[in-house]
Amino acid sequence: MTDTTCTQCGYEHVVIHRKYNGQRLCSNCFKESIEKKVLRTVKKQKLINKGDKVLVGLSGGKDSVALLNILNILKEKHMIDLVAVTIDEGIAGYREEGVRIAKDVAQKLGVEHHIVSFKDTFDFTLDKIMMAESKEEHPQHACTYCGVFRRHVFNQTAREYNATKIATGHNLDDETQSILMNYLEGNINNMVRIGYITEARDERFTPKIKPLREIPEKEIGLYVLECGYEVHFDGCPYAHESFRMEVGDFIRQATLKHPTIMYSTLNGFEKIKPVLKKDYMKKQTGLPNGTCSRCGEPSSDELCKSCKFLDKIHEKIRRVDEDDN
Amino acid sequence: MKKLEELMKMTIKFINKKDIKEMDYEENLKVEDILKREDIPIETVVVKINGITVTEDEVVNDNDEVEVIKVIYGG
Repeated sequence: MTDTTCTQCGYEHVVIHRKYNGQRLCSNCFKESIEKKVLRTVKKQKLINKGDKVLVGLSGGKDSVALLNILNILKEKHMIDLVAVTIDEGIAGYREEGVRIAKDVAQKLGVEHHIVSFKDTFDFTLDKIMMAESKEEHPQHACTYCGVFRRHVFNQTAREYNATKIATGHNLDDETQSILMNYLEGNINNMVRIGYITEARDERFTPKIKPLREIPEKEIGLYVLECGYEVHFDGCPYAHESFRMEVGDFIRQATLKHPTIMYSTLNGFEKIKPVLKKDYMKKQTGLPNGTCSRCGEPSSDELCKSCKFLDKIHEKIRRVDEDDN
Repeated sequence: MKKLEELMKMTIKFINKKDIKEMDYEENLKVEDILKREDIPIETVVVKINGITVTEDEVVNDNDEVEVIKVIYGG
């Protein structure tokens, strides 16, 4: 057997050499192995039940396109229903392409698709927020706002479309980064919450699942390319040098010499998690949560984080508009 | 002697997003070697030769079109 022979079927051209298990796979066997692995995760971790309606956050990036394509296998078997939701944060010159690709992918797969914009929901774009933020003495990162508002939109739309699960495209790289970051920062409370399913802290929130959690990020990129999808591989213009990026670079570097390191990090973490949870999840009492007095979303405070941010942002934008006049 | 060196050279078309250029290398290089020389982290990209996905072990030949597709940010 040569370096170019598929270890599964013997075909004479391979697209991947998996150093963590020695496999060399042709395009077809590779795609099949990814789909099988994801569906095995779904089954083993009981992420999805028959009859679930799964909401997929579809950005048009590789992870969400792969996720929708694979979960669509279950839809075609009439085991689940799917709805894809694309959030348009209002990032000029970047988001348009993702939205266009998301539309194409959903249409190609015949999946119900909705586009929800920050502009329609909150009456501003992320660009507008960042323009106002740039005038501040200590400007916040775009991700701080974006993350909170996106979560808000996903929680709301999940209820609106009667979704029973929200599936996100978190991959093996994302998860090992989260584990290591939280460990290095000593943030054990956050660390023990990382998992295949993010259990809702309030029953009005839809549980979030991560079917791609055991797939390395590079393999997801390869999978969507081999499936023939056009993918939005560009990075967000607001992405900044972050601790996550540093940790990601470190893990990827280490993986070159130690190919199994991401799997061992994830598996080791899953082993110690039950013990950590015993001590650290005790503090998560106070359920059920209250309700935001303004928007009606579940919240532990009088106002939810999203509404608190909205107040701040509207004030900042108002100041900028006044200055401009 | 110079003649022999020239015989062992190859020219490839190298595509990295919008950056397209012709490059000369000595023959018998693997994808991995070219990425290293171009300072592209191998763990963040998928490479196609003449439109077909290849692994980092693939040998690049004269007149090949080598396309690098960045699939991971950071690195």
